[in-house]
Amino acid sequence: MSFSAEIARVIDLFQLPFMHRALIGGVLTGATGGLLGSFAVLRQLSFFSDTLGHSALLGISLGVVFGVNPTLVLLPFAVVFALGVSYLLEKTRIWTDALLNIVYSSSLASAIIILSFVGQYKGGLNNLLFGDILAIRPGDLVFSSILLGICIVFISLTLRTQMLVTLHEELAMARGISVSTHRMIFTTLLALVVAISIKAIGVLLISAFVVTPACTAQLMTGKFSHYVLISAMIGAVSAVGGMVLSAFFDLPSGPSIVMTQLSLFFLAASFPYLRKLAV
Amino acid sequence: MTVENLTVYRESYAAVQNVSFSLDAGTDTAIVGPNGAGKSTLVQALLGILPRQSGDIFVLGQALNRKGSLPSTVREKLAYLPQQFLFDRRIPITVEELVGLGWDSPGLRLPWLGGRQRFHQVRQALARVDAAHLRSQPISRLSGGEMKRVLLAYCLVRPRSLLILDEAPAGLDIQSESEFYQLLYQLKQEQGWAILQVSHDLDMVRRHCDRVLCLNRTLRCQGVPDVALSPENLVAAYGNERSPYHHSH
Repeated sequence: MSFSAEIARVIDLFQLPFMHRALIGGVLTGATGGLLGSFAVLRQLSFFSDTLGHSALLGISLGVVFGVNPTLVLLPFAVVFALGVSYLLEKTRIWTDALLNIVYSSSLASAIIILSFVGQYKGGLNNLLFGDILAIRPGDLVFSSILLGICIVFISLTLRTQMLVTLHEELAMARGISVSTHRMIFTTLLALVVAISIKAIGVLLISAFVVTPACTAQLMTGKFSHYVLISAMIGAVSAVGGMVLSAFFDLPSGPSIVMTQLSLFFLAASFPYLRKLAV
Repeated sequence: MTVENLTVYRESYAAVQNVSFSLDAGTDTAIVGPNGAGKSTLVQALLGILPRQSGDIFVLGQALNRKGSLPSTVREKLAYLPQQFLFDRRIPITVEELVGLGWDSPGLRLPWLGGRQRFHQVRQALARVDAAHLRSQPISRLSGGEMKRVLLAYCLVRPRSLLILDEAPAGLDIQSESEFYQLLYQLKQEQGWAILQVSHDLDMVRRHCDRVLCLNRTLRCQGVPDVALSPENLVAAYGNERSPYHHSH
């Protein structure tokens, strides 16, 4: 097939309603992940978001066992789980990465055991692990839009406070800021983002949506406000790029978006060297 | 600031016990004592960062309640620089943004509101500490001495009554430390700040401070430096640990 015919095929593909939904869903998820990820990475919560992603499988499996819509179980489960893990991290003397590893592996193991009792899960374990962005429904888009709206309003109204909490918690407390309250709200939002995005992105790849755009943005700017905006934009742009890539080469969409994020990361990392070469 | 019978627990032991003192406006008071004496614990309790077991704390005439909260008008009059102020230099934040955080009041507000006044105050504060040229620099590019000047601008960006410094010049070489204190005391004169500072440098305390609190879990002595830092009082506060803290430069 010629290149122009290939482009015509991709354009035709993007006329289909399920592709519209996938594209919008990817942009919403990417932007929200990038926005919250910009703070999560600086607060060293990258592994925490990965743990949340893996624990989501446990929430889904509980929904399957009790015969309740897994998506409905997942939202409250993710929030309670995230707050519970945050509490443990604060109260125990175990190293953060070790504790998260215990939680991560045990929740994954529990989920697999529970799913083995119900036999073949009709949603398919593969879809849970890697997600299916093409299966996004209009209702999912509404949830994602509302969540992005809440995150934008929360971050905008508390930007200076979030900066101070991220920079130095003790300094923030000395200014009368309730760090624990802000931490709890942020954790809740992060848990909701992970829970809502699982369907599209999957358990294994969700943390890339939180971590990679933020790390790329960190390489691109030394200014905090720009960093947050760039991170959200990279999240959204990667989703569009990944979807196009996936349509062109008939690749799975979620992994294509993650590979686009990775390409942008490498581009940002090599930019100073490329500039030196150009001079 | 007035502190009455303050006791603070760290886990199961009393890190600070029955401490009482008061600070007058415009004075410079040093807290000295050996490692583990409870100096940082005391400072954190005074700011409401750590909860207290018993006792009363009044800051600028307002009681610090049990939850550690103070009216925001009082909070704005305080500035605090934590021990060594170590934070991750990889955090992408410019000098202007960092100093601006000293201007902003916590709470819900649109980030662009009051931008012009904020910009003006930040520029003035940076100019006063001779760091105007660093305004757009990311903090990752600052030297130790530049960072301390920027932190003084953070304190200076809003009118304050009380500065609480926990070993603020830690990590600086002798020259930079001397420049830091010179700038700090110039600003103190201009702004009329009262200062409460934790320090290990007894020579600096003798030269600059009006009062000294010798702490070793309990308050072992307090008074003007000549009295509080007498050999007998130092032995009472430090025991045999005194010698490492006495150096002159």
